[in-house]
Parts: sequence; C-alpha cells; structure tokens
Amino acid sequence: MSNFIPMPATLVGVRQVTDKEKLFTISLDNGKNIKHRPCQFVIVSISGVGEAPISISSPPTDSGKVIELCVRSVGNLTGAMHRLSVNDKIGIRGPFGNGFPIEKIEGRDILIVAGGLGLAPLRSLIKYVNNERKRYRRFILLIGAKRPADILFKEEVTKWDEDPGIETHITVDAAEPPWNKNVGVITGLFKYIDIDPLKTVAAIVGPPVMYRFVIRELLAKGIFEGNIFLDLERRMRCGLGKCGHCQINGIYLCQNGPVLSYLEAKKLQEAL
Amino acid sequence: MDVTVEYNDIDRFILALQSRYNVIAPVSKDGRFIFDLIDHPSKVSPKYDSTLLPPVKWIYPNDEALLEFDLKDAAKIKEITESNKQALLFVHPCDVNAINIMDEILAEEPSDVNYLKRRWSTVIIGYECLGPCKENILCFDKSYHIAYSGFDLFFTDIGERYYVQVASSTGKEIIEMIGGLKKAGFSDKTELFRVRDERKMRFKKSIHGNMDMLSHMLKEAYNDEIWNIEEKKCLSCGACNIVCPTCYCFDVVDEICPDMEKGTRYRRWDGCQLHGFCKVATGENFRKTAAERVRHRVFKKEVYLKKRFGRSGCVGCGRCIDHCIANISLIEIFNKVFDRVREGV
Repeated sequence: MSNFIPMPATLVGVRQVTDKEKLFTISLDNGKNIKHRPCQFVIVSISGVGEAPISISSPPTDSGKVIELCVRSVGNLTGAMHRLSVNDKIGIRGPFGNGFPIEKIEGRDILIVAGGLGLAPLRSLIKYVNNERKRYRRFILLIGAKRPADILFKEEVTKWDEDPGIETHITVDAAEPPWNKNVGVITGLFKYIDIDPLKTVAAIVGPPVMYRFVIRELLAKGIFEGNIFLDLERRMRCGLGKCGHCQINGIYLCQNGPVLSYLEAKKLQEAL
Repeated sequence: MDVTVEYNDIDRFILALQSRYNVIAPVSKDGRFIFDLIDHPSKVSPKYDSTLLPPVKWIYPNDEALLEFDLKDAAKIKEITESNKQALLFVHPCDVNAINIMDEILAEEPSDVNYLKRRWSTVIIGYECLGPCKENILCFDKSYHIAYSGFDLFFTDIGERYYVQVASSTGKEIIEMIGGLKKAGFSDKTELFRVRDERKMRFKKSIHGNMDMLSHMLKEAYNDEIWNIEEKKCLSCGACNIVCPTCYCFDVVDEICPDMEKGTRYRRWDGCQLHGFCKVATGENFRKTAAERVRHRVFKKEVYLKKRFGRSGCVGCGRCIDHCIANISLIEIFNKVFDRVREGV
C-alpha cells in the first residue's frame, strides 16, 4: 500500500490549552496503538485541507490507545483542526522520525529546556521520564514562555513545579503581578542550576533563535556535545525522506531527525 | 541475443510496440522536442538534441493523484496508484542514467509505491549518443553519456540500420513479439564497436578539473563568494528544478471537486529554488536567500546524493543551463570552484 494513505482516526477529546493552542486527543479507528517514542511526530490529514506534521505531546507510557497533539492555529491545516470537535474524523500517518534516544539516558541526570511551543514535543519526554522516575537520577526542567498566559499545560507545569523530585524553573519574557517567578529569557535560568556535566543529558526544543544561546550555556557548564539533544522542526510534507522540505544539508529530518545530538548538528551548517 | 533493425523497418517496430504499450517518444514541437504519447510512428524523431522535460517525468508526473477522499465521510479514502503499460522510446543515456538514480532514491525505504508501480510498468528503450547533442552539457565530464544498465532495449545507429542491444527479459519478449528481425552478426558488432570508439573523439570536456574531486572541492567552497554572485542573478523561478531529470521534491495538495463532495489529494512538483520552499507556518524561512538555495541545489546533486549513493545525482544533461533565464550555469559554477582552488583562495 502507498505510504500516503492515512489511517482513519477519531478525535476523542479537544481541550483549550491557552488562548492559541488546543490539545487534541486522538484514537485510531482500527483500535491499534500508535507505538511511538518521545519526540516523534505524526502527519495529520484532513480531507480537502491537506496534511501537516505535528509532534506527539503524550508519552508512550500513558494509557496506550490514544495520542495527544498540542496544536497552535497558525496555518491552513492547524486552522482547520481548531474548527473540529469531539467525534470528528481525521487521518493519521506515522509516527515518523527517530524520536528521543531514551535507551541512552538511563541512569543519567536529565535536563530539559523547553521554550514556548517546544514544551509540546518535550511533554512526551517529560512525562515519560516522570513515569519511569526511578530509572533516572536528577530531573531538571527549565521552561520559558512569552507571557504567563502562554505557558502550555499550566496545571501540569504547576504540578511539576511543586514536585520535590523535579527541579523546575520557569521564566517569561514579560509579566505583571501577581507573577512571582522569573522574568527574562530562558538562558537566565542557568544561574539557578548546578549540574554534574559528566552525568547530565540535555534535551532542547524551542523557537529556532533559542538553540544557539542555550547550547552555549550548556557547553559552558561542561556538558559533552554528544549529550545535548536538539529536536529540530522544519517544513515537512511526506515524512518519508522524499519531498525535500525538511532537508538540512545531507539529511532528512523526518527520517534521520528530528532529534539530533549537537555533535551531529554542528556538522550541518544549515541546522542551527 | 542482440538484433538489428533496418532504418526502413523502424515504423513496423514502433507500430508493433504500440500494440502492447503506450509509446512515449521524442516528437518535434515548435522547433524543439518533447517526450509525448504518439499516435503514429511517423511522429517520432529519433534524431533529437534534448527534450524540454526529461522522459522520467512520465514515471513521476506532476499532479499525480495519491488518493480520493469524500468530504461527507472523512473515513472514506480510496488509494490511487496508476500503472499504465508504457514504453519510453529513444531515451538518451543521460536520461537513462537519471531514471536509474531516481529508482535508487525512490525505492529506498520507506519506498515510494506510486513511483515504483509506474516504473515497473514502464519499458525503457535507449538511444545511443555518438556525439554531443547540444552545447552546455556535462554528461561526458561525468561519464553519464554512456548508459550501462537501466534499459530493456538499446538502439545504436550503425549506418542504414540500428544495432539493438537486448538487455532484459521484457526486451527479449518485445523483440520476439515484433518478429522478423535479423540477429546481430559479426559485422554489426564490429560496426558497433567502431562507432562507439569514434564517440570519444566527438565529445569534449566542459569542466577543467578532476570530477572525482568535485564533491570535495564544493565542500571547501561552502562559504565562498560564488554563491553570492549567483544570488544576484537568480530569480528563484524554479525552472531548473522542473526540467531536471533527478529533481523529485514535491508538495502534497488537496483539491475539491466542483460538486463539493469529493476531492483528490495530489503530489505536485515543488522546487528547492522557490522562496517559500523551507518556510514554516510560524514565518521562519530556513533557506531565506537565493544564494543558500542555489548552493543547496548544487550540493544536493554533487555532495548529498553522491554521499548516499556513491555517484553524482546530476547526469549533466544541461537542461537547467538551457532553461535558466538568468544564465546561471552549472558548468560555470563548477569551473569557478576548480579555479578557486587553483588560485589558492
């Protein structure tokens, strides 16, 4: 069968996350589980509108049968998705991409840096690590957003913030009272954390402009280049390593990415 | 066993081929040539220079339907894969090699089923180039002026008759179906070797440098001034992408029928030279300048595909040079890359 044929799926839940983003809970009509890894993505299809790649926000360890997609309405397909409601049908292809190398990080300190919408794909990793908390050592979360109202998954972020097992630091670019946490760019949070560079693995997702600054902070802390993982997002059409849109230098992100270590990414001039 | 076809027997050959296949052959149109579906053998021009679009586009057509959908029932989706039996007739070696490259790219897992189905139902009949077909070619520099595989039958003009190499079981079946063709004898083979030997003297190199080093030289020139010079010329029209026999980038688009009930999802050719090719919904453009895009096109063929498949992804047909309204030339770029190193920049 052609790789372009989407699997029929149903929206079993739609929830407003912020004023711009919605969280869609999706289950496949064939009753199967979309077996995915944290930071993989699916291609969502709406007949008559088209297709778009969306990161999976739910961890593979949660309830199994459904996936959650956190979507901001910015383009044709995401706009159409926002007009859908529970029980509406969509199509799903995937999951695509390599996902986060979860096998390699067991027993390590995990540092996660999420800027803005970057929390959408990283939530799958955060929840995965949190569900299997015993297999990891320290767990540090740095979360940044434009304004307090833009923070995704606020209830969960509050829960992580209150959890003594997770060291959470949150910042926003601008805020008014009653905001009592940090104000400023995400790199400003690095002064609060003291890490063991030889034992730490970092995962970064955020707007394109954020990567260089955060990587510089992490390198300054002494983290090995191969232990810094970036989830790079590009325009994608096919998910099959063919259509060419997600190509950065010689690699197709939809197949060889979207997660690359900085050690790999720094050899690709177009990556950062 | 190879055969020969007399010049005056070629119409019978094509007519017989038409009984089993849609025959796509070079035909003259407004003073140029295109590969088109023919209705009569008299339309075919075996002696053509180069075609506007490469023949591979008949295996990888624009706006190829991928699936049909029903707006009333979102779960109703019908897969479309087409596989008409077609024969590409008189394909030059550069284009045969281009199809070989496309086969490799699109058969790589996860494979492109739509392409492969069409490819499997396509017969390829090559036509030897015994000299350069036009200006602005690099096939000889790249040794793509000869095709060693990727065809079912291969025609070489040896004077008064064609020498036809039978290279596959499908090719053999076609020869048996046509019938009455003479087996190639000793004198035919001698003549074949003679004309092939003379070919060497007719081609001349366009690039003043060792092509085996090109990939390496380009990597050295990644941040060179060359790309900025090309940027000033490039209009980002994407013509080079469209005429390239190894360009395969595409977009996926939905179109709704006028009845507002059904529609089709198409694969539409896209081009990496277009401004919005790498632009995402939030506005970021990951290849903003024409310099980056021109460099990407050159690197994709000469560095990235070469690394993946061990050979250059550009067959040197020169179509991108002929059709560039801004006169951007791969030959010029490659020569500059070699000059740059010679001058010790």
